Amino acid sequence: MILHTLNASPSSAAFQDCLSLLHAKDALVLLGDGVYAAVAGTHAYEALQGSPARVHVLLSDALLAGVNPNVQGIVPIDMEGLVSLTENFPRQQAWY
Amino acid sequence: MRGSGKNAVLMVFTHSPYGSSLAGAGLDAALASAAFEQPVDLLFIGDGVLQLQSKQDNQALKIKHMGKVLASLPLYGIDRVYVDAKAVSRYQLDLDASLLATEALEPDKMHKLMVDYDHLLSF
Amino acid sequence: MIYALLVLAPPVSGQASRHALTFARTVIARGHTLHRVFFLDAGTLNSAAGIVLPQDEANPVQPWSALARQHAVELVICVTSALRYGMLDAEEARRHDRQAPTIDTSFTISGLGDLVDACAQADRVVTFGG
Repeated sequence: MILHTLNASPSSAAFQDCLSLLHAKDALVLLGDGVYAAVAGTHAYEALQGSPARVHVLLSDALLAGVNPNVQGIVPIDMEGLVSLTENFPRQQAWY
Repeated sequence: MRGSGKNAVLMVFTHSPYGSSLAGAGLDAALASAAFEQPVDLLFIGDGVLQLQSKQDNQALKIKHMGKVLASLPLYGIDRVYVDAKAVSRYQLDLDASLLATEALEPDKMHKLMVDYDHLLSF
Repeated sequence: MIYALLVLAPPVSGQASRHALTFARTVIARGHTLHRVFFLDAGTLNSAAGIVLPQDEANPVQPWSALARQHAVELVICVTSALRYGMLDAEEARRHDRQAPTIDTSFTISGLGDLVDACAQADRVVTFGG
């Protein structure tokens, strides 16, 4: 079980590296420029929908970027939600 | 997995050696861990594998030679080094000529390795 | 649970250092122990005392000192990175013959041993880079 955090845009190497390591029972949180992977219909969004991991987006960052946080298959969370994920996941991998 | 301390630590390197100061900071952290007898293991993913390039030459620029730091790690007891096999082939790196002995892993094996540790520090 | 944070991201550029700050506050609010925040590499710039922003933007350094004051959180900046980035306390400024210290006094300059120790002590180490 790995909690992945992605703070890099979908065209980054970080996004690709992260994508290749998402497993079932893992969770991903999109934050910073990572929120652009939550834009429905994009390649990045489709790629994440195809991954077995549960995907979240940090609400404040999505709103700042003008990205709709309420899209199918992605759970919007606040910082409370992120801390709660770190309580449940024993380790975090930061991609940036 | 190992670690004489309470927690086993894997340092994950995902950035190139000279594109930022992250690689240097991470290697310093690895050396410090060894100095405090809490040896860590290392995993190089994506652009991180570029740190293993053997022909680094800093003669022309007064910049710290990352390859030399990397090559010194086994002297400090850091000898479990894993690399992203796909990235190695993408960058056509010759692991036999690389700076230190490594084990190349496919993504599933990398994931399996990562979940063996308590903490993942990502540089 | 015992938490430690590793901050590699600079202030002002990007959101990662702000994430770290909000995360730190939330960890404490949820009843956990925040053992230490370790600032490494460009993360050491979060200690810069001289940051001046327009009035309608939040200063990134003051909330860290408030956190340290209110909750006795250790804010440690790595000495190697700090010197590289020009982040000096009074002692380092004197030692290296620089005119004045450049860091906020809520931060302590120390070695990477403090990160090693944090990893050994903490149940969770959360990294903020970017």
